[in-house]
Amino acid sequence: MPFDRALFDALEPGQRSEISRLPLPRKQLGWSAKTLLVILRIYVVVAIPVVIYAFIKALDH
Amino acid sequence: MSDEISSFEFPPATARGDHLLSREDLLRARSRLIIRRIRADRRWLKLLWLLAGPGVLVMLGENDGPSMVSYATTGASYGVGFFIPFILLTFVMAFVVQEMTVRLGAATHRGHAELIFQRFGPFWGYFSMADLVFGNVLTLVTEFIAIQAGGLYFGLSSWVSVAIGVVLVLASLSFRRYATWERALMALAICNLLFIPAALFAHPSGAQLAHAMAHWGPLPGGFTTAFLTVVLANIGATVTPWMIFFQQSAVVDKGLTRADVAQGRMDTAIGALIAAAAAIATVVAAAPLFAAHVNVSSFASGADFATALQPLIGTTGATLFALGIIEAGLVAAMTISTSSSYALAETVSARHSLNLDFSGGKLFYGAAILSTLIAAGVVLIPGAPLLAMTLTVNVIATLLMAPALLFLLLLVNDREIMGDLANGWRTNLAGGVIVTGISLVGALYGVITVFPNLLGQ
Repeated sequence: MPFDRALFDALEPGQRSEISRLPLPRKQLGWSAKTLLVILRIYVVVAIPVVIYAFIKALDH
Repeated sequence: MSDEISSFEFPPATARGDHLLSREDLLRARSRLIIRRIRADRRWLKLLWLLAGPGVLVMLGENDGPSMVSYATTGASYGVGFFIPFILLTFVMAFVVQEMTVRLGAATHRGHAELIFQRFGPFWGYFSMADLVFGNVLTLVTEFIAIQAGGLYFGLSSWVSVAIGVVLVLASLSFRRYATWERALMALAICNLLFIPAALFAHPSGAQLAHAMAHWGPLPGGFTTAFLTVVLANIGATVTPWMIFFQQSAVVDKGLTRADVAQGRMDTAIGALIAAAAAIATVVAAAPLFAAHVNVSSFASGADFATALQPLIGTTGATLFALGIIEAGLVAAMTISTSSSYALAETVSARHSLNLDFSGGKLFYGAAILSTLIAAGVVLIPGAPLLAMTLTVNVIATLLMAPALLFLLLLVNDREIMGDLANGWRTNLAGGVIVTGISLVGALYGVITVFPNLLGQ
């Protein structure tokens, strides 16, 4: 199959699977984003027992 | 065909490092060439038709089995009133959230799970993927419950209806071409509109509907725990974490670029409009149960509603309702299983595309197949705690919506990856209000779950 320039150029470079698989660098977080993520961790720690409790309680139905 | 595509070789590696288009690239490139030609010809309707898909599928996919049961419960408990405009509002919220995923996908060409993993690190990457996949598997169970219940209405045994559901879900994965998969699902998903003729058999009053829209009422019973639970169920039926992951991945797989964002928005708006129409129609179709004072608290599935509606809206109306429930479960099973596949493969840097052939996408297809088989198997286990799973799914979805929305907002404000498609102050305000609202509602849902008598009856 001959090389087809039009087909090759139809995709943006970032769309090609070889390039899109290269990882992006880690984001440098500001204090507000860091604070939000800390709050999120606390939220998750609280939410998981609620999910477990809800399931156990639902088993009684 | 696949061999020809796999061996498509380009000249030696260039400075950009690209020398080979994979099968998924080639299929996507062909679609992009057609899009480019249609855009140059200024055939805007054709362009919209070609670029539509992810938005319609995500909105109609979220009108799933449990969601339609929630809407039916709403209609049977409150009739035509407050919840008609409220449901419309929830779809406006869904549009605001999902529109951000269109921009994220078009700007970065990466899925939501991989962006979280790469930008915020492995902890949040694995957490987001794990909670999504866990929630999705439980949700898949509820979809097969809907398929099973719909089948029972037509006299099919559980085994037969679940087996048919599994075969159709697996068949949808066999196309190995995103565009074909998308169009096949859209054709099936449009059957969500079966609830509209079902609603017409309930002979709704136009004046009553107009009054409900204009006055957000009536609201029989006022503000109670039961009312709040229905509010939460309706929000949970419209805005959920899997939708964010799915639409972004589908936008990437379809190959949308920055130039296509306007059509992506329209696709999402059209999907929201169709899904809202189907959801409101379900409320209207079930409203005769409210008028007849039928107690639906013991109803566990869509089939119970269809059976109860038969003497009120006739056999044809009830049959359409039951068919709608089956369709809702089926389309959701197809989209949700794919959402898990995308998230899992993106997180572990495996190849992820519906354009892959099976040998290139073992993990991607394997995850969808395995989750489908597990969910279907669980439904068929005698004595399995299906009701407990259904109830827990709602709690998981509502509680985990807050983290999903927060990451969505952080990513869509990340100018390094978004450029000029990053959120402006208006979208941040709308997104912030929705995130705060849904987080508070989710927290309230959690509190009510643990302390059910907190607000009285």
